[in-house]
Amino acid sequence: MPLSPKIIELRKILAERYPPQTGIHSLCTPTGWSPLDSLLGGGLPKGAITQLLIPNISSGGAMVLHEIIEAMHDASQYVALIDGQDCFEPFVDHPLLLWIRCHDVAQALKATDLILRDGNLPLTILDFKQNSDRELRKIPGPTWYRFQRISEENKTSLLIITRHPIASSAHVTISMTHQLYIDDLSSQREEIIKSVSLEIIRMRTQLEYRYA
Amino acid sequence: MHKIETHCFAVIYIPFYSLQCAQQKHAWQSCNPHRMSPRQLSLDVIETAVPGTAQQNIVDDPSFDIPAALLARDGIHVIELNPAAERAGIRPGVSTSQAIARAADLVLYPRTLSNEQHLQNTLLQLVYRYSPFIENSAPGICTLDLKGKRTRRHQLWLRELLTKLRSVGLKAQAGIGPNPEIALQAAKIADPILEISQDSHLLQSLPLESLAPSPFLLDIMKSWGVRNLGALTRLPREEIGQRLGLEGLSLWDRAAGQSNSVLQLVQPPETFEESVDFEQPLETLEPLLFIVRRFLETLSLRIESVYLLIAELHLTLTLENGEKLVRILHIPAPTRNVDTLFGIAAQYLETLQTAAPVTSFHLEVIPSRPSGHQFDLFQGGLKDPNRFFQTLARLAALVGNEKVGIPQKIDTHRPDSLQMLMPEFDWARGRIKKKGYPKTGPGLRRYRPGVPADVQLNDDGKPTLIQSSVISGKILEARGPWKLSGNWWDPTRWEAIEWDIALDHRGLYRIAQSTTSTNERRRTSAHENAANDRGQSFTFQDQWEVVGVYD
Repeated sequence: MPLSPKIIELRKILAERYPPQTGIHSLCTPTGWSPLDSLLGGGLPKGAITQLLIPNISSGGAMVLHEIIEAMHDASQYVALIDGQDCFEPFVDHPLLLWIRCHDVAQALKATDLILRDGNLPLTILDFKQNSDRELRKIPGPTWYRFQRISEENKTSLLIITRHPIASSAHVTISMTHQLYIDDLSSQREEIIKSVSLEIIRMRTQLEYRYA
Repeated sequence: MHKIETHCFAVIYIPFYSLQCAQQKHAWQSCNPHRMSPRQLSLDVIETAVPGTAQQNIVDDPSFDIPAALLARDGIHVIELNPAAERAGIRPGVSTSQAIARAADLVLYPRTLSNEQHLQNTLLQLVYRYSPFIENSAPGICTLDLKGKRTRRHQLWLRELLTKLRSVGLKAQAGIGPNPEIALQAAKIADPILEISQDSHLLQSLPLESLAPSPFLLDIMKSWGVRNLGALTRLPREEIGQRLGLEGLSLWDRAAGQSNSVLQLVQPPETFEESVDFEQPLETLEPLLFIVRRFLETLSLRIESVYLLIAELHLTLTLENGEKLVRILHIPAPTRNVDTLFGIAAQYLETLQTAAPVTSFHLEVIPSRPSGHQFDLFQGGLKDPNRFFQTLARLAALVGNEKVGIPQKIDTHRPDSLQMLMPEFDWARGRIKKKGYPKTGPGLRRYRPGVPADVQLNDDGKPTLIQSSVISGKILEARGPWKLSGNWWDPTRWEAIEWDIALDHRGLYRIAQSTTSTNERRRTSAHENAANDRGQSFTFQDQWEVVGVYD
């Protein structure tokens, strides 16, 4: 639905009177995975939610997850992985990874709340890729706004991996498209990941974000 | 120009010390909010009810000005009085009935020798922060030699010290003088701090009783018309010596501020503990948390005075049935922050269920030196390790201890074999190994547990069709078999034949035919079946299952 001219004018006045504070999201949490960092201009925005959509099956989502965790490890940064369906399969030891193995969405949301409020870990990954749509639809909308406020307060980054958009308060929504083939199972990961394509499908402006 | 250093002493004096100790103990118990309406144990109680009241200062209580007296051991006579009781005309030695006749609102306290000793230790610990040369002069009196102290503004630190003493329930006075005797006399008349010099008029106007001479000597002096120190020092010293002997000479020297007594230096005790016996057994958490908070505030103050941190909390709860519960709580990052320490203690206590009400509580803290940490320039550390470990405990309570932590592979080829380690304070410091390792293939998302499936094989033994609750359909391509096995030497023997399959809807999955001994499946002990131990009569179950999805 197109916005009414009055709303557009009101936004313009507000933007003039209260100019967006530069630097709110100038600080990023670099994931170390260059395709994502370069797409977002340095890394995941600090104090905000980023949503990574992987709609198709066998698209390489787990591979991306591993890349981010390993890149963060290489940068000596702590990561919390909240596993919505206890499906993460570590290849190697991850001494800087705090893995929370939940059995359903409700548990994962409570764990996310605790981790975000704690504020000690710069990056929290909430993996809902394997959770059913039926479960995810039951998440109350204000939950995401609450997470956004906590992240903003603690200057931490929250990355949500899911099949469909669920976090209405996400600052950036990225879509990932790729298709794995059986030959890829014996290929080097760095070769496979070259063909992964990321696309920003929604990025909130500063003003829109502040009034979310 | 050479700076002349003048010798200076300070005395901390706690008037009517035994009575204050008894009042302090009573205040601890009366601060106990168990008389309020009992509430169930909950976090809300911790966050709302405790902190505000914990800041209350006992000696600021208006009841401090109510006439109070300390009972002798016989419980009949009073032995110490506060100024309000003295103003009411009560004198030490009178019976309780006589005392109450003079002041109807008189509060009588039994003497608590253990608390007096405990508070004396607290006094020494708090004073030690300001001078290493301290003397345990008498109950409620501590003398400090201020040699080497650079500041001349003694009022500032003395005021800080007196405030600390007030926070532990003691109202003290401080005096400064060129020798311990003058400093003590100054402390006795201070309000609350007084500095006097050797020839001060104030010193000379003090009554003779302030030096506590023997009654015999005091009577002689009074018969001579000597009432104060000035009058005594105006008499010739030699003449006093000839008539009254050494005792008289000592009294003259003390009156003239020429006493040369040497301080008997002591070290404050290094035990930091507090305990309370409840008048009524506690049945709810709230009063206990209240006491814990107050204890932590006091102990933190004492620990601070010796420049240490708190590394462990030892909580001992004595129950009505005689049982003792002892719990040692390790502080991940030693600290003196009361809120942090209280949060850790409260988190334990709120999950504690006791068989009987609590009759006494003892808290001991173990100090440690601040540990030096040189963080890596490029390594992010935990901002608040103590808070993080509290969060970890909450997460463990939410998902289970075995479901949260750092994943670590177990030294076996068995798929999905890993253990979860709880992070430590120096989480991963020195453990980060940035070594390269082969990164082959995309990651797997595992179904835990595996999803049972029916698999149809062709003549070559390759899977061609699969049916399960998560995937069903024709298998376009299959890679395998990948044979794995282990533990062939014991009853937990296992085998797995894995296949990677591509389905017609473009999904890639891993399926496996697991062969596991029934003993392993039932998780029975090896001793249950001696025949199995010999490896002669294993029974196996073969089952296909969908292990995970390459996603």
